[in-house]
Amino acid sequence: MTINSGPDHALVHAAIEQVWGSMLFEAAEPWPADVPADFETGLQAHIEIRGGWNGRLVLTCDSVVATQIAAALLGMGPDEQVDELDVHDAVGEVLNVVGGSVKGAIGGAMTLGLPGIRASASPPTSEESLVVSWRGAPVHVQIVPDAAKAS
Amino acid sequence: MRALIVDDSRAMRKIVGRILVDAGYEVLEAGDGQEALDVLNSLDGDLPDLACVDWNMPVMDGLTFITEVRKQTEWRAITLMMVTTESEQDRIVRALAAGAHEYLIKPFTGDALVEKLDLLGLTATTVGDLA
Repeated sequence: MTINSGPDHALVHAAIEQVWGSMLFEAAEPWPADVPADFETGLQAHIEIRGGWNGRLVLTCDSVVATQIAAALLGMGPDEQVDELDVHDAVGEVLNVVGGSVKGAIGGAMTLGLPGIRASASPPTSEESLVVSWRGAPVHVQIVPDAAKAS
Repeated sequence: MRALIVDDSRAMRKIVGRILVDAGYEVLEAGDGQEALDVLNSLDGDLPDLACVDWNMPVMDGLTFITEVRKQTEWRAITLMMVTTESEQDRIVRALAAGAHEYLIKPFTGDALVEKLDLLGLTATTVGDLA
């Protein structure tokens, strides 16, 4: 069976809110539409969903935000250093749990891949991604069906 | 008491490990199911009381690991808890059928994990609010 609609922004935002609230102890407020959601050097995590809907979720954020997310996930204090491996792993794990929630909400026989991480030179455009606010900085989450391509 | 955490995420191993250490456990770690089998084989009988096992991992997934553990009669005393993003009912049924004793869905709180330990009779110490 193919689900043509797939996950939408509301579903993914609900998953992000659940994961941030329970794992990072932060709210995931929508990013204001009239504020540019830019950053210079970032990190991009992706995870595939296969089954009734085929595609992937892609999370892109500034590298400082990625470090803050890792520190929050690991319960580290502001003066503690987070090494790069932990940052990559933590951001991937956050997206993994978001992907699991999205997959569960879609229903049916679905499988979730393993998260991947790469550097990202620039954020996607706000028009093509859901943007949420992390401590006043943008975090982009794209829903990318197989036919499409993430920027 | 002793626990083995099997998860390919270093962050998740640290999170689960911190909760279990606070609950009085000595913690061992493995990054996938095969590595976890290697750990168990290396322990020379001094086995963990509990294994917290992720489902989706490279090399060997959690379901296969649980199946392999259950094949070994000398490992029967290990309590197996699946800790995973897989939330669908059929996945839970498969894990329990393979030999898992409990199932905890990510995201979870420290309290939720400790509640599972209580249900399993595996609370090592009196623990406070871990949230």
